[in-house]
Amino acid sequence: MSYVEAVLNGLMVGGLYGLFGLGLALAFGIMRIVNIAHGEFVVLAAYLGVTLLAVTPLPLPVVIVVVAIAAFALGWTLQATMLNRVLGPNPVPAMVITMGLSIVLRNVLVKLYGANIQSIDIGPLQTMGLAFGGLSIGLLPMLIFAIAVVLFVGVNLLLTRTTIGRAFRAAADDYEILETLGFNRRRIYNAALGLAVALSAVAGLLLAMRSSFSPFSGVERLLIAFEVVIIGGLGSLRGCFLGGLFLGVVQVVGLKLYPNSGPLFGHLAFFVVLLLRQSNLGSFLAWGRK
Amino acid sequence: MTLLALENVDVFYGDLQAIFGVNLHIDQGEAVALIGANGAGKSTLLRAMIGLTAARHGTVRLDGHDITRERCDLVARRGVAIVPEGRRLFASLTVEENLLMGAARARPGPWTLDAVFALFPAMREFRHHNAAELSGGQQQMVAVGRALLTNPRLLLCDELSLGLAPKVVGEIYACFAGIRATGVSIILVEQDIVRARSASNRLYCLLKGRVTLEGASDAVSLDAISQAYFGERRQ
Ligand SMILES: Nc1ncnc2c1ncn2[C@@H]1O[C@H](COP(=O)(O)OP(=O)(O)O)[C@@H](O)[C@H]1O
Ligand SMILES: [Mg+2]
Repeated sequence: MSYVEAVLNGLMVGGLYGLFGLGLALAFGIMRIVNIAHGEFVVLAAYLGVTLLAVTPLPLPVVIVVVAIAAFALGWTLQATMLNRVLGPNPVPAMVITMGLSIVLRNVLVKLYGANIQSIDIGPLQTMGLAFGGLSIGLLPMLIFAIAVVLFVGVNLLLTRTTIGRAFRAAADDYEILETLGFNRRRIYNAALGLAVALSAVAGLLLAMRSSFSPFSGVERLLIAFEVVIIGGLGSLRGCFLGGLFLGVVQVVGLKLYPNSGPLFGHLAFFVVLLLRQSNLGSFLAWGRK
Repeated sequence: MTLLALENVDVFYGDLQAIFGVNLHIDQGEAVALIGANGAGKSTLLRAMIGLTAARHGTVRLDGHDITRERCDLVARRGVAIVPEGRRLFASLTVEENLLMGAARARPGPWTLDAVFALFPAMREFRHHNAAELSGGQQQMVAVGRALLTNPRLLLCDELSLGLAPKVVGEIYACFAGIRATGVSIILVEQDIVRARSASNRLYCLLKGRVTLEGASDAVSLDAISQAYFGERRQ
């Protein structure tokens, strides 16, 4: 794998990282909820995908849609039954709830599937590739990247062209006024968390086709999401996308340099970005922020 | 016919009581002014009317329905709209998007985007601007338009003139005739007593959370108003 390939691969996995960040950013931007269980939802989606592929004859695209719908329902239900009870200026109760939930989910997954590392086998697509200009790029990463781009564009259209999308943004600005216009704030929140979890779930399922996972992968996914959001800037779709790409590239290129480095270089890059921001030298890194 | 009636309403913020046993009513098509000094409880009373802060004791009735503890969005759907103090536009939305939020859950009625643009023709020019980029007067027009687009039966206006130049205030009040012609009732909160009087049929004066004066706007004397407003006769 050449460095050009590494960069391209990094961009492609970065699209998924962007989606992880987007799910977290939506929940924080709209409800001011820091969803600690975000990573566990991502992993849960991967397990749900594995199970559906194993026990049902459903083809992969349908499985993705089913997982997305299930995740939307899960996000909606979590907001409606628990998080809407702790709305208010204090963000801690929601953090405690989602942290508790993350522990429960992790242990349920261990109970159901064991602690072993898993991966999703999707057949020949996994190894197909395209070669051009001396580079060989996997078909699967490209497909996954395309899905990520489509989802970002779709969310952008949703936020700017539809009533529910505008209501998300308006709720983030001033939910009281939104209520005085006849909107049920709780419903808006339910839909927002549904969307956030669904996006992350799709990303989690897609990532599971490229890299293995275990019930304990959630923390790592959550960390990526946090880093994407902080690098990209809160409340900006473009920021999330670019932040994801940046992390993806750094990580994959880092892995090429030092194959045993794992996610180390991503975390280092995040740390450097934070330092640069702090010392105000990093305005060139603030791309994509509103 | 009475549209909205408050009976012995007490409103609290936590342990702090802001409104004490207020009785107030407004008829269909009427314009009622609510005047009082800063902190008298005018905004709080409006919040109780639209369900943002429910009255702890007493009753709020709309068309005879008890809406005292009804959720704000449901009260809004029954036809109550508010132009809030400080305008409170959605800052990350454009002008047009702000207006569309008003229209999205609207009742049937005369107010459409075009009707609002006809009322404030200048708004067409800055419809695609971000709400945060507008001047105070422009923001106020958008806030009024947004509330009108819900097609309310009762429009609560909280200090329209706050922080605006007198000329701009005049322009906004000039539109009131057109708004009232559609049959909407208006409760007008103002600190400017002269303007409040001339724009209303009746007025209530609020002092420290209590009604200290009520009457037909052209019948109450400025002297009586200033006494009710400040709580004592000024020398
Ligand atoms: N959110 C709040 N929490 C606690 N007290 C409040 C709040 N809003 C207003 N108050 C108090 O309630 C009283 C009435 O305030 P308000 O209704 O805003 O008066 P006005 O609109 O007439 O200036 C004041 O004493 C004010 O300090
Ligand atoms: Mg006020």
